[in-house]
Amino acid sequence: MRKVLVLNLADNIAICLEDMPAHTVVDQDNLKLTTTQQIPRGHKVASKPVKKGEGIIKYGERMGHATKDISVGEHVHTHNVLGDRLSTEAN
Amino acid sequence: MSLTGYKRADGRWGFRNHVLILPLHQMLSAAARDVEKDSKGAVAVSHDWSQVVEKDHQRIIHSLAGNATNPNIYATIFLRLGTPAEDEVINLAKSYGKTKLIEVSLSEAKSIDRLRQMAIDRANTLLTEAKSEQRVAAPFSAMVLGLECGGSDAYSGITANPALGVASDELVAQGGTSILGETMEILGAEHLLAKRAITAAVGQQIIDVVARYEASINYEGIDIRGAQPSRGNIEGGLSTLEEKSLGAAKKAGNAQFTGVLEYAIAPSKAGLYFMDTPGHDIEQLTGFGAANVNITVFTTGRGTPTGSAVMPTIKVATNTEMATAIPDIIDLNSGTIADGTQTLEENGELIYKLIMDVANGQLTKAELGGHHEFNLSRLYGSTL
Repeated sequence: MRKVLVLNLADNIAICLEDMPAHTVVDQDNLKLTTTQQIPRGHKVASKPVKKGEGIIKYGERMGHATKDISVGEHVHTHNVLGDRLSTEAN
Repeated sequence: MSLTGYKRADGRWGFRNHVLILPLHQMLSAAARDVEKDSKGAVAVSHDWSQVVEKDHQRIIHSLAGNATNPNIYATIFLRLGTPAEDEVINLAKSYGKTKLIEVSLSEAKSIDRLRQMAIDRANTLLTEAKSEQRVAAPFSAMVLGLECGGSDAYSGITANPALGVASDELVAQGGTSILGETMEILGAEHLLAKRAITAAVGQQIIDVVARYEASINYEGIDIRGAQPSRGNIEGGLSTLEEKSLGAAKKAGNAQFTGVLEYAIAPSKAGLYFMDTPGHDIEQLTGFGAANVNITVFTTGRGTPTGSAVMPTIKVATNTEMATAIPDIIDLNSGTIADGTQTLEENGELIYKLIMDVANGQLTKAELGGHHEFNLSRLYGSTL
């Protein structure tokens, strides 16, 4: 049983396939990480470090950018991600 | 993997050999259903077109003519009153290929009873002919696949949709055709899809189609971009509109877009296309059926029994719970990806194999259940 789903090798996030408490260890398919906080099933966990302003890559495509530095194992969601289009339009 | 089908006189390929009963006025819809019931295997559709002049006239004419000549059709029997508007549909259908087109007219039959009996007799003769036709080996270019989703859930974007994308990519690589629809669903990801267009002009068409849609929505006073993703989407784990739209668009995998199609218009060559369709499940099926699509794969999170009269419609579940609850509706479960028991590639391969099996004659759950919904799509009100 896999704990996370990697949609594309270029991605810097993986999808949690179960509710993960903090400090859950994932070790599968050449991916090793430890969650830094609780992450619900279906949500994203950082599989690579992402600097503020860099793209969040899912399906190998840019789905938005980081609004702060994100380290491996962190929950990646609306608290640290913004869509590129919407934020452009808001300015 | 080998493919077999019915080679049509105009060079297209069908994977079914239907005799379709198509009424050209809503008042003949009941008669069409009667013919289906009393013939030896004809399929009928019904609709609400009453031939009044409306702004959607051309859209409706193309929908009817296109479905009448879908490559899965051996012959279509038009039930008609005898009006010039009906001639428009029939003449357009004749220009689309060499499907056998039969007309049974109320103006000649004089009564509905007689019309019904004439249509049943013609249908039974055509069905005998159709059954004597043999399948022959078909190239992968014979396949025109429709990609659809309906009743999506939090898993659609990570299970069934990207798994279908794996199958679609494989088909396109083999020389087949695949069509993604639902303009609303790609809103927010159109710039990403445009980058995958085969030329800058096709990329611009993708952007333009979404802009046209968005302008029509804004005209209605709805700001759909600002309200997305919804609270439910965010709870499910979606963070941005791009992410949500990519999840829907991933049914089309990673292949390049060869072109953009208007609703109910067939592609002229092989490859991956985007068609400007409504999100409504059945209206999308009607648009695909009119555009030479001969198999549709339909991913669903909540489960829907919808099927088409002219195309086998394969249902792929996004989650195991629903797939297990309604096995009479679901053909294949992609929930295994979220369960962690199958990879995207493994599940995508199963979808690809099922598409081939269904093309070769295996019946879908929607076919077994007798589902053949048909809706005309309108952009404007039905009266002027």
